[in-house]
Amino acid sequence: MRRWLVWLVLAAAALPAWAGLPAEEGDCLGCHGSDPDMSMDLSSGEKLGIYVDLAVFAKSVHGEILRCNDCHTDKNGYPHESKPFATRRDLTVAYYEGCKACHFANYTKTLDGVHYKQMAKGNRKAALCVDCHGAHDIQRASEPRTRISLTCAKCHPQVFKVYAASVHGQASAGGNPDVPVCTDCHRAHDILDPSGGALAVRTPEICGRCHTNEKMMAKYGLSTKVVSTYLKDFHGMSASLKRDETGTDRRSFAAVCTDCHGVHDIQGSKDPSSHTIQANLVQTCRKCHPDATANFPKAWLSHYEPSPNKASLVWMLQTFYKVLIPFMVGGLVLQIALHLWRVVVNR
Amino acid sequence: MSSYLVRFSVRQRVEHAITMVIFTVLCLTGLPQKFYGAAWAHHLIELFGGIDTNRWIHRFCGWVLLITTLVHFSSAIYAIAEKKIPLSMIPTRKDFEDAVLTLRYYLGLHEHAPKYDRFDYKQKFEYWGLVVGNVIMVLTGLILIYPTVITRLFPGELVPAAKVAHSNEGLMAFLVITIWHIYNAHLNPDVFPFDPTIFTGKISRERMAHEHPLELERLEGQAGSAQGDAHRIVSGHAEQDMG
Repeated sequence: MRRWLVWLVLAAAALPAWAGLPAEEGDCLGCHGSDPDMSMDLSSGEKLGIYVDLAVFAKSVHGEILRCNDCHTDKNGYPHESKPFATRRDLTVAYYEGCKACHFANYTKTLDGVHYKQMAKGNRKAALCVDCHGAHDIQRASEPRTRISLTCAKCHPQVFKVYAASVHGQASAGGNPDVPVCTDCHRAHDILDPSGGALAVRTPEICGRCHTNEKMMAKYGLSTKVVSTYLKDFHGMSASLKRDETGTDRRSFAAVCTDCHGVHDIQGSKDPSSHTIQANLVQTCRKCHPDATANFPKAWLSHYEPSPNKASLVWMLQTFYKVLIPFMVGGLVLQIALHLWRVVVNR
Repeated sequence: MSSYLVRFSVRQRVEHAITMVIFTVLCLTGLPQKFYGAAWAHHLIELFGGIDTNRWIHRFCGWVLLITTLVHFSSAIYAIAEKKIPLSMIPTRKDFEDAVLTLRYYLGLHEHAPKYDRFDYKQKFEYWGLVVGNVIMVLTGLILIYPTVITRLFPGELVPAAKVAHSNEGLMAFLVITIWHIYNAHLNPDVFPFDPTIFTGKISRERMAHEHPLELERLEGQAGSAQGDAHRIVSGHAEQDMG
């Protein structure tokens, strides 16, 4: 009896895989799958292609799972009314809610994203689900990983160009899976508005995800102390204390990783075009400290921890106080204790 | 009615009051910056209206500290040069002997505590600790406010060095004051719960006899020879309008 049930469940699970496609073919694709030039004229003068290539849809991630009217919920038979969309964009915007029924979590995330905020403000060019994922040809967005950045590049070509030339972009193009693509820093659905302070304040954490990973950094001979040394410095301390302030103004914000290393144009520390190479450092400091002179960059310990060899003066002072403070406090407490003891004895 | 002496001038009392307020605010706005990772530090910063306002207050108080330190030094040097005040705050050989004797007395190795003059060695230690601390805090604080100016003349490493000195010296000052000063001015059984002398300027003759017998002897000797009346003694550098 039980074994019979298991077979039934397995059969039911397998059902759509073989049962799905012919049904589509027979119904919707009977019209929409025959003529590749099939289109509608919109009132804006645009042509809206309404042909669907079965082979493309079948290979998409939804090919074996969804029926046409799972997304086109209003099309329930033939003939069906065509909605009076003025432009192709109107249609895309109208279908924004279409993915929600299944992808509720990611849909909800987009409501916090910068694209949705732009759309809400009336910028209808802002990316919607299908702009990044496609419609009938949806594939896994992160396969291969490099595809993610190329997707963003469709609308952000200038930034992509800069990124592609950076140490991360070059390695990514070479197939290195360790380096970040756009969404690793910006996230995919709830993309933060980079012009506010909200993304900047998270920078040490974002960069730190990889740059404090011992195993990953060992491959490239990079230090994992970059975040801890940054936090101990004046900039890091200020950024930590700014973290809970809401509505932080970017201009009043202490330097975070990207302010010195660059954002999309980050280069290795030995690259001559790096913002943080010795020769370019004063210039980098001057972005925030316009009156900085040649000695000024040494005020920053370059992510080194003070030691007898590096920043020996700082190390000596640290050591001095490490001894002096316990000695001083201990001595005073001891004297207080002795005095109290004397008072008690004298009574 | 017990007799009292005037120990601190109005000006000294005002100096103490300003230093007390400024020191407290400097600690409240400075220590959260040192302990930036702690939850209490974030709450305190929030209380002062965010890190920018917090730093503005800290720097303002720093400037007040700089001015009061300068005024204190210059007027002290002037007064000493004009021989208007005795060098009662300068540490002497006797202070070191007093310190050893006091500890021996506490340990039961000596019959009685040494007799102190106007300022005992603990008070001198605290005064000079504060003065040296103020100078360190003011100088390193200025380096931290003007890092680009300093590095025009000096090596850049001076800036992180100043930060280490400022933050540690500040912590030490906080600990010395909360432990040592609070004990001596409040929790010490001799004065508990509160020694009002620095606020009223007055000290009772009994306490003078107990805490500063050498000064009392000297004052009563002077007053006795001048007026034959030791009931109300006014020291050479005390206010005449008291009482």
